[in-house]
Amino acid sequence: MSDPVRLPPDLPDDRLPRVLGEALAGLYTGEPRLPARAGGRTAGLAALQAWTGQGYAGRNFLGGNVSRLSMYLRHGMLGLREVAAHARAVMRGRERDEFLRQLTWAEFYRLVLRQEGARVLGNLEDPKYPARWVGTLPDDVREARTGLPCADAWVTHLVRDGWMHNHERLWFAAYLVHWRGVDWRAGYALFREHLLDGDIANNALSWQWVASTFSNKPYFMNQENIDRYSGGRWCRTCRAECPFRASYGELETQLFGTQP
Amino acid sequence: MTAPQVRRVVWIHGDSLSVTDPALSACPDAPALFVFDRPFLQAVPVAFPRLAFMYQGVRDLAAHRAGPTEIRVGSVPDELAAFAGAHHAAELHVTRNFTPDFARIVDGLRAARPDLRIIIHEPERLTSFDGPLRRFFGFWKKVEREVLHGEPAPDFPRRGHRQERR
Ligand SMILES: Cc1cc2nc3c(=O)[nH]c(=O)nc-3n(C[C@H](O)[C@H](O)[C@H](O)COP(=O)(O)OP(=O)(O)OC[C@H]3O[C@@H](n4cnc5c(N)ncnc54)[C@H](O)[C@@H]3O)c2cc1C
Repeated sequence: MSDPVRLPPDLPDDRLPRVLGEALAGLYTGEPRLPARAGGRTAGLAALQAWTGQGYAGRNFLGGNVSRLSMYLRHGMLGLREVAAHARAVMRGRERDEFLRQLTWAEFYRLVLRQEGARVLGNLEDPKYPARWVGTLPDDVREARTGLPCADAWVTHLVRDGWMHNHERLWFAAYLVHWRGVDWRAGYALFREHLLDGDIANNALSWQWVASTFSNKPYFMNQENIDRYSGGRWCRTCRAECPFRASYGELETQLFGTQP
Repeated sequence: MTAPQVRRVVWIHGDSLSVTDPALSACPDAPALFVFDRPFLQAVPVAFPRLAFMYQGVRDLAAHRAGPTEIRVGSVPDELAAFAGAHHAAELHVTRNFTPDFARIVDGLRAARPDLRIIIHEPERLTSFDGPLRRFFGFWKKVEREVLHGEPAPDFPRRGHRQERR
């Protein structure tokens, strides 16, 4: 057993990076700094109460009003039940149902983890296309210098904010697995390193859902989809050779070798 | 304050960083321990903000409970065994999580302290569903009513929510 290290449970935020950084020396990556959102149930409850859910119907747009409560749910700072109760009280109609349905994904993945245990860390099913994935994360992806403004922004958001919009996660995962041919476990590990909500269940199973080892077909997108849901954020000024600019049929043939 | 009949300690882990955690709620006065898992963090890269976020979670629950809360860095089963020993605890309370590590740590602790009773509290669930799972769509069909209406409703009247909202 190594030297016991104890930490006071009441470090104020201004001392936290230095003192925690010293106690955990050699046990973390990056610089000691505060997270983009404060942890704790008090902060989580404030975020929950401030969230009205208005505009959640546009949740697939990067500018859509999603809750950003995942990091609190991940660590039990908020419970799925109280978040559901809040949604039932403040939201209406389709928008409320849509939110409750999304929340149920988190319950589903937790229960799949309970059912499958450590098996969720390997392919649960065979991929639905002839995949030859390599195990290591390419440096240009990790360092956000792929030359694609969108893909580099996804990695930058991940590292800077410890949070990504669901659509960015889907695009990034599809790019890494299907375009770059990287095993989903390398992406899972990158997310686990940085996401404040990074866990086993949602993280591994979402990657498997994209990769088609826990779904009936691989998830992929094209440039039109990125352009639309990002509000033109990257595409409008993009000069890169875009690997996503094609019809779904063409991409399907190119990526998965199947006829449209 | 009167001493409880049985001396108890609570293990708080990364899935239960709230004063409302079932194990903490069951033992509001008991000493509680959170451990930054040294062997895990040596093996797996984790960026600092994630660890700071968890620290803030422990700090918040420590400020909202009656019993003392400690934070250590080390091997989780070893630190738990030492903590229980230092407090002469006969029982350790914890809330279950479904990660493979949880079972490994509980086994390690049982081996190190066979005399310590480990009481596992069940985590909160959104649904009461307990059957086998395969795809989300099938699961959603089974739990939809319960989730949308907020109560388990096996005999819920066949008046769908869809009708109500249209
Ligand atoms: C490759 C990949 C990896 C992911 N890894 C994680 C992860 O490690 N941890 C994690 O919590 N989520 C993960 N997700 C799921 C999802 O992207 C996030 O939960 C969501 O973006 C969090 O933002 P939010 O709280 O604003 O979501 P909202 O849209 O406001 O939804 C509210 C809550 O519902 C749950 N939820 C919503 N959508 C999903 C979904 N598709 N799958 C599972 N739960 C959902 C979350 O708990 C979320 O906090 C991943 C998705 C992908 C595609």
